Amino acid sequence: MQTQDNTMTEQSRETNDMKSEKATDPAIESGLKRLTPERIQKTINQVLEKETGPRFKAYVETCMRCGMCADACSFFLSNDRDPYFMPAAKVKNTIWEMLAKKGNVSKDFLRQAVRISHLECNVCKRCAMYCPFGIDIAYMMLLVRRICHKLEITPQYIQDTVNSHSVTLNQMWVKDDEWIDTLQWQEEDARDEFENLEIPLDKVGADIMYSVIAPEPKFQAGLIYQAATMMHAAGIDWTMPSTPGWDNSNMAMYTGDNEISGRIARAFFETAAKLRVKRIVMGECGHAFRSVYDIGNRWNSWVMPPFEVVHALAFYHELLTEGRITIKEKYKKKVTLHDPCNVSRGRGLHDKARQVVNMVCEDFVDMVPNREHNYCCGAGGGVINCGPPYKNERMVNNRNKAEQLAATGAEVLIAPCHNCHSGLEDIIHHYDLKMEIKFLGDLIYETMEKKIYTPGK
Amino acid sequence: MEEKTSWDWHTDLKEIPVKEWENRFNWVQAPQVSKDGERIAAIVNLDEMVFNVCVNGDVWDDKYEKAWCLAPFADNGFAAFVAKDEEWTMNVNGVQWSNWFDFIWDMKISPNGDFLGAAFQTDSEYGVIVNDVPWEDRYENLTGAVMAPNGTSAAVVQMESMAAADVDAFKKGIFSVARNGEAQAARFLNAWNISFDAGAQNIACTVRLDREAYSIVQNDTIWDNRFESAWKPQFLDEKTLVAPVRINGKWKLYKNNAPFWANAYDQLWHLSVSPAGEDIAAIVSTPYGRWTVAVNDRVWQHSWDTMVSDIHFSQDGACLAAVYKHKGAWDLAVNQTPWQMRADKVFVPSISPDGSVVAVVVEKNSTRQLVVNNRVMASGFSFMADPVISPDGSQVMIKAIENGVYKRQIISV
Repeated sequence: MQTQDNTMTEQSRETNDMKSEKATDPAIESGLKRLTPERIQKTINQVLEKETGPRFKAYVETCMRCGMCADACSFFLSNDRDPYFMPAAKVKNTIWEMLAKKGNVSKDFLRQAVRISHLECNVCKRCAMYCPFGIDIAYMMLLVRRICHKLEITPQYIQDTVNSHSVTLNQMWVKDDEWIDTLQWQEEDARDEFENLEIPLDKVGADIMYSVIAPEPKFQAGLIYQAATMMHAAGIDWTMPSTPGWDNSNMAMYTGDNEISGRIARAFFETAAKLRVKRIVMGECGHAFRSVYDIGNRWNSWVMPPFEVVHALAFYHELLTEGRITIKEKYKKKVTLHDPCNVSRGRGLHDKARQVVNMVCEDFVDMVPNREHNYCCGAGGGVINCGPPYKNERMVNNRNKAEQLAATGAEVLIAPCHNCHSGLEDIIHHYDLKMEIKFLGDLIYETMEKKIYTPGK
Repeated sequence: MEEKTSWDWHTDLKEIPVKEWENRFNWVQAPQVSKDGERIAAIVNLDEMVFNVCVNGDVWDDKYEKAWCLAPFADNGFAAFVAKDEEWTMNVNGVQWSNWFDFIWDMKISPNGDFLGAAFQTDSEYGVIVNDVPWEDRYENLTGAVMAPNGTSAAVVQMESMAAADVDAFKKGIFSVARNGEAQAARFLNAWNISFDAGAQNIACTVRLDREAYSIVQNDTIWDNRFESAWKPQFLDEKTLVAPVRINGKWKLYKNNAPFWANAYDQLWHLSVSPAGEDIAAIVSTPYGRWTVAVNDRVWQHSWDTMVSDIHFSQDGACLAAVYKHKGAWDLAVNQTPWQMRADKVFVPSISPDGSVVAVVVEKNSTRQLVVNNRVMASGFSFMADPVISPDGSQVMIKAIENGVYKRQIISV
């Protein structure tokens, strides 16, 4: 640990030097150029008057500026407790100002509002847990993002993912043929382990529709292979759609493009309805899990998701506890577990996650704090999706997470969420943490017995 | 051409053993049944990377490295995508098409079975093929392929070249509708949901004009009105187009660019027009979070808490059936009357031409059963294809597998 701590200190110094570097974004700048004071004012007032209600009013009128939210925020802790990063300050410097000035704000103000809402808040909702009144600051930051969307000043890279969603219904411009071809390729490879393994496409009446997000076919196809192996070994009646609607991620939820968010949610659930499945199982993604209950659904008038959506974590738990998958030999290296905000704080799967890790791994050490109190990865709320221009800033804002990871002394970090996984991978490299990072599925695949489940045996 | 009258409605039971296929082949994929119920087929594996299609126990002549998307075609045939030497084509009833591509997908079959199409990609260029005739013009990408109801036209949304993450180019509009291989001039931020009229003379789609403005394009004309969102338009006849559009947070039905239905809903989609064009039905949500059906802007008396997934008219328009989910279970409602089956799955209902008989396959506790006019007529099957009702409405054809035997059974109702 001594070496790791020393490295951390050196890296922290370098990271502090990066603090003054602020990226510029052509999409924001060109968007700002096109704006007129009239359009700014009209748009802000339209959102505040027509798209908010008692909830927003209650939040605005209840906050006492007590500062309890400050220590809950990774950005605040990573920036030497700079008050600028206090969640309450983020609200004060964005939506409250817009409200107080009745939308009459400058372009410089908006530039800063984009930065605060998209890059300096990961909408992780940790602060809401520590607020004496439970004020949901993430909701207000998402409201700012909604205003940015309507003013067309959303950061370039995350806007591009939403553009992709709007065209292909997946977030990475994966073309229809590429999707199917990738599934067939993984199916073919997985037959080295199970001769008759199938990734059943469009099987109407299967029990489960398995859903992934676009990074899997794009550059992590091995995860599909692993999932197919587990499904096959466990004897699951499952299918995957060949048509758009297979990606349950929803970046539009994070840019405030509620209209596209609704379109994505509709395609996803109607694909499941068309296939006549009982439920949907999804891969290890946090924000996609959040989106199942989020704005897209409600925009469509679904109060609750029309299908049960089971996160991979809960599904692994089911497979292992029912004995459908058995572990041949537990994983030996010392592991720790990151609790993705949308999976743990948002949906309470942290205890199941620990049970799965303990069923699969021999040596598990928890982070401090953990479970719903765990620190955010600083990526998965749309921050990492703002792209490479902001990577340095993201690393500065993640120092707190790096210190937390280093303190575990673990050799392997399990991150059961795609965005968290990518963000944490950057942290590990940047702070030279000498850790491997894995999905939970990686470990289950590695340790499971490669045999077909037979009921009763 | 689908001629149900010429099908065998006299033989009570025909059986084909399929269990033995598992011994003949390395493995057998999910079966498909021909429309007339006379044939059962499945993609089968013969050896490593050797696939074929087995129909009633006979395999097609050619063998393939890969095969997928086996589907019933015309009265008693099948079509599938097949690959050899890393190239793909369509095989129809054992006969390969002459055109081969780097990939082929999104099979389209016209209702009368005369036209069969698919999207294809070769050398990173995208197009559509119908009845083995590929479009000459190819595109950077295509989405949302649609075939006209009579099969004589096909259309896609085509995309022009764009650099990675070029949000400015995207904003200028790089999408247009391409019909029968010809891209229309107008470009949009987005285009979706292409729709043809019955005779394939007219075409329409939903478009996004800027970040916030949605509208409908009817042939080359954009409706004057701008909406918060819009869903798929539907032709009532050659000159009349209706579309659900969102205004002030509520959904309304517009006709030819003007308000049509008086009511505003929390959701309104899946328009369905009765075959004679007299009635328009839609899945609607009202009040917020409750789901039901509206016919000519009149809402059914029942509503459900989860979703209505699909609605189906009888040929004479007298009967309308809706598949819905309520309190965790799937069900069917016919002309406003819920059957209250509380099933795990409800498949696509079949309706007799006069609307007097409705038959549907449902699944409960992992077994499938046939329900006709809300009475269980057969049960205990591991597999059951959608039933077929005889033209006179007096009989139902069951297409099911029981104990490894495929059964084509005719029952009276």
